[in-house]
Amino acid sequence: MSAAPSADFLAALHDYQPLVRRVCRLYCQDADDRQDLFQEIVLQLWRAWPRYVPQPDAKLSTWLYRIALNVAISNLRQRTRRPASVDLESDVAQHLAQPTEASAYEPEETAALYRAIDRLSDVDKAFVLLYLEDRPYDEMADILGITQNNVRVKMHRVQEKLRKQLVHS
Amino acid sequence: MELDDLRRQWQQPQPVTDPAALNLAELRNLLAQQSDSVIEQLRRNARVEMTINYALLPVSLLVAGLASALWVRLFGWLLALLALVCIFYFRRKLGLLHSMNDPAGDLRSHLVRLITGLRTLIRFYYRLTLATIPVTGLLIGIMSVTSVLKVVTPTKIWLLAGLLAVMSLVIYLPIAHTTKRYLHWLYGQHLERLEGQLRELDEASPVG
Repeated sequence: MSAAPSADFLAALHDYQPLVRRVCRLYCQDADDRQDLFQEIVLQLWRAWPRYVPQPDAKLSTWLYRIALNVAISNLRQRTRRPASVDLESDVAQHLAQPTEASAYEPEETAALYRAIDRLSDVDKAFVLLYLEDRPYDEMADILGITQNNVRVKMHRVQEKLRKQLVHS
Repeated sequence: MELDDLRRQWQQPQPVTDPAALNLAELRNLLAQQSDSVIEQLRRNARVEMTINYALLPVSLLVAGLASALWVRLFGWLLALLALVCIFYFRRKLGLLHSMNDPAGDLRSHLVRLITGLRTLIRFYYRLTLATIPVTGLLIGIMSVTSVLKVVTPTKIWLLAGLLAVMSLVIYLPIAHTTKRYLHWLYGQHLERLEGQLRELDEASPVG
């Protein structure tokens, strides 16, 4: 694309950068891969922006989640640096697990949960992400293209998987 | 610890994994870069290859129209035909890649679109490769006739045509097999991954 990005797109992107960063955080453990994915999502957002039509019952964030997740999950990129599965090892997991005001848990517990999430499939991670992002089931269904009932069932299964992994770790 | 507990700290920026927000100038720079997705690379390659074929077409037609020797004229027509087939193929390929490059839909429909697109792409490529074998055989035949045979007689032409037909049949199967394996190596892993993701998304029978 050669046209300069419009001011409204840049403003929206600027506001929603943290959202995109969180998607990258969940899907890539390597810093270079995270940056590559961030760039790819931003480029796809820009490409899709001219076709974005604001609607009263549709949030901009839903549109952003769709594109970010579609790129992160189905993204046909040449994975030169990213191995098939990278354990969220102590470096990143421990940093992410640093105690915060909102956390009443030990860093090791949080790190274990991050490691368990990292072992999930890309599709399961999408459910986790939307859950962590506090999206209601109807919006999750809208983003993922399945029924609300299926979202509930899948969410339940993902939580079970995580519990089992935490027990075995 | 459960997901509910993690949710409280999730939305806070993490300095280690989330770099500081880019300012507008940095975002502009980022948007000036090229996408590294396979689809985007395929589109760029297809555009270059189509341009080459567009350039080849008038040259071939010129050769076909101006050459004095019959075999050179025939050679020109065949090259022009090959260029036309390739242009048609690359136009279809670009249209297909364009339709695959729209991630604004929901995840399920996006996966379906990518899977359908990749399957069609593989079919296109396979058919084109097999269709070019007879044309390439003819081109080789014309070159052989003119370089090997000093005196061209109808009998010799028929003999050579028969030989080329047999050779085309012999190499057809290995080429078809190799093309299939090459396409699987090129796109198979992506296709299998996408199909697996779609199955995973669809499997949601009631818990019990």
